[in-house]
Amino acid sequence: MGQVILGVGDYGASKTPGDEVKTFALGSCVSVILLDPKTRTVGMAHIALPDSSINKVKAAEKPGYFADTAIPALLHEMTKFGCHKKGKGMVVKLCGGANVMDTNDTFQIGKRNALAIKKILWAYGMGAVAEDLGKNFSRTVSISVESGQVMLSSPGRPNWQL
Amino acid sequence: MGTKICKENLQQIIKSVPMLSASASRLLQLTSNSDHQLLDVVNLVKTDANLTARVLKIVNSAAFGLINEITSIDRAISYLGERIVISIAIGDCAGKLFEKELSGYEAAGGDLWKHDLRTAIAAREIVVQTELEVSPDLAFTAGLLHDIGKSLISDYLQGTVPEAIELISSQDSLDYLEAEEKIIGVDHTLAGFELAQAWQLPEELAEVILYHHQPGNASEEFRLLVYAVHLGDNIAMLGGFGTGSDSMQYRLDPKYTDYITLSPKTLANVMLTVDMEFEKLEESLNNLGRETT
Ligand SMILES: [Fe+2]
Ligand SMILES: [Fe+2]
Repeated sequence: MGQVILGVGDYGASKTPGDEVKTFALGSCVSVILLDPKTRTVGMAHIALPDSSINKVKAAEKPGYFADTAIPALLHEMTKFGCHKKGKGMVVKLCGGANVMDTNDTFQIGKRNALAIKKILWAYGMGAVAEDLGKNFSRTVSISVESGQVMLSSPGRPNWQL
Repeated sequence: MGTKICKENLQQIIKSVPMLSASASRLLQLTSNSDHQLLDVVNLVKTDANLTARVLKIVNSAAFGLINEITSIDRAISYLGERIVISIAIGDCAGKLFEKELSGYEAAGGDLWKHDLRTAIAAREIVVQTELEVSPDLAFTAGLLHDIGKSLISDYLQGTVPEAIELISSQDSLDYLEAEEKIIGVDHTLAGFELAQAWQLPEELAEVILYHHQPGNASEEFRLLVYAVHLGDNIAMLGGFGTGSDSMQYRLDPKYTDYITLSPKTLANVMLTVDMEFEKLEESLNNLGRETT
């Protein structure tokens, strides 16, 4: 069984049954999960910040890092697996975007990430069918390519499904 | 259920952990003094042959990709900068503590070092990007050391993660620190502070270790530094580099705004810099804690 492990700012996809697409310990980062029922492809991006305008060089080098560059990059990646280039028919799930306790507005990075992502998805005519965002714990996410099942885990908590 | 730690136990634990070498200890004293020069650091390192060799080995490692080998310690130190020399010195004597698997927090070996390194980079960036009246390198050192207490109490916390999480979600404990205290009688800031005393760390570093979750309690002269590390710690956790179960289970002290002006954009820049610097530093310091050959 293969694993596609995505670090911060990475994106990737797989349609190999038996593969697992996985990312570890999302804090304020948000994982965008795209499931394409038609081609049975699973794609994911691990997004750190909402807006690439703060560093164009980084955005060119690692488009998956920023919401506005990650989603086009992931959709493009998924066309290699035969998926629709604008995500038609895809199922969207979102998770991550956590906060520390007693956060103030400035530190609501997770919330800003989620908002930026939703805005961009909206422009593609896409919306999330399921989301597990916010709160104050880290999340590890893994998706089975075979079943499309999205599982989450966090230390000290029972695993849960999204 | 964790095993309670009493005062005598804690002293016992501290006796069993590595001590700082004389040169590491003097390096920390020297560099916490605001009017020292890089030359003082060079002279100090030169008195320690092992440390000199390690610094030269690291500056010439593949991570820095130098075309010409650096053979003089003066050049090596001015190339690497004070903070990297300090990281090497601390890592050489106390690497085991940083690399230890924190099973009481369900964290893997090396997680503490990564968290500390990211906190160090973030605290330094906060100082630089918001132009705080604090030495950037001191903020870095303080960030490296802030959570050292976790490796002292972790074994006693084994099997307590669900209980600690439950104490916080039910609001019986304010944060993970209180949960630690409730379960084993000592939290990681107090344990770290005791080690700071045993290591004879400079006062400002000891205060960072003791107050990094309640920076408002730090004495006024060190409060800026403690707030910088407090924010650095939160940035490290938000970036996905906590130490297992306690990640983001602490409170941000909103009063930091009395000391530090930080816009969302600057914060985004700090976070991005942390990711980029971390990759570089982690690679160059990756043999921290391993036996030197
Ligand atoms: Fe801490
Ligand atoms: Fe910390």
